[in-house]
Amino acid sequence: SVTEIRSGFTAIKANIQARDPIRTLSILSYPHSLHRVKSSDRCCITHHLFNFYVDKVFKHCKTEDSYVNRKISSIANSFLSVKRKLGQCHEQNKCMCGQESAKKFKQILVNYEGLNVTSAAIKSLGELDILLDWMEKSR
Amino acid sequence: SGELYCSLPNPRNVHFESINMKNVLHWSAPEGIGDGVLYKVKYSVYGVGKWIRKPECRNINSTWCDLSNETSDYEEQYYASVKAFLNGMCSNWTETTRFNPLTDTKIDPPMVSVSSTEKSISIILTAPEKWKRSPEGESVSLLQVYPGLQYNVSVLNKKTKKRWFFSVSNNTLVVPWLEPGTAYCVSAQIYVTTPLLHSGFSKEYCIATLKDKMA
Repeated sequence: SVTEIRSGFTAIKANIQARDPIRTLSILSYPHSLHRVKSSDRCCITHHLFNFYVDKVFKHCKTEDSYVNRKISSIANSFLSVKRKLGQCHEQNKCMCGQESAKKFKQILVNYEGLNVTSAAIKSLGELDILLDWMEKSR
Repeated sequence: SGELYCSLPNPRNVHFESINMKNVLHWSAPEGIGDGVLYKVKYSVYGVGKWIRKPECRNINSTWCDLSNETSDYEEQYYASVKAFLNGMCSNWTETTRFNPLTDTKIDPPMVSVSSTEKSISIILTAPEKWKRSPEGESVSLLQVYPGLQYNVSVLNKKTKKRWFFSVSNNTLVVPWLEPGTAYCVSAQIYVTTPLLHSGFSKEYCIATLKDKMA
């Protein structure tokens, strides 16, 4: 599923990122990159971020382009299946949330709520490769 | 330039060309403009609030600028922008799309070295190195950058024209049960699953298996 997310995103990356004119702000990378997250917090942050994208981002990412919309919904479906798996880890206490991950995720929500909902959703979608690069690197 | 309103046409097709994370900004001259145009370049890290000028690419007449040094952290993403000047006139800044060195670079084929016995060929594959600031700088193999890096290897029997393909994760491959005294040609490609990247195939490296001593 992560590979499907990656290929779905690659197909619309230029289109989505072109809709985000704000260069000076990042939802996932500000002020610190995801790459600074401790390995012990990785599962929890990933779990939170998948919930974040499913609950807050995808629903606000409608465009006038039906091809892009189809790609977004297929990415969202892939997110749902990964989210379910992560949920199981969380329930089996294999995905502990420490102070660091809570702080990091709170910052992401602050960044998100600092923009109007559509801009924040499109920017978050345009940053999917930041999430995927981090997930794949830390695998 | 003193002119606030910029009437010169913009530079065109401003984009990064990246090979093994040597990241060079390229552009085309503004439409319909002849010689004498000068350019300046700036870049920014996505999510960080400021544009940074590139002094070595100020008032240049070439249409490229090496930003490898400035974009070497592949955990970040970047924008770059170019402005043109001619006879006191200027253009607007023209930007790239968001550049992600990790996914937007091209990868060279691996280096291939081969040796043979009577009935087998041993192949050693070496992934290219990431661009580095200076020859003395620390070498980082792309294998370290892309943990999922694999090799696709093609082996051709020159006599029968039969070809095999192998996909290997480690960097050595021994091909057994070959014909003695026969020429084989080997070519290899790098393949990364996530993010999806692949190099071209290397040139062919040919070697003959040793003749059968018993024959």
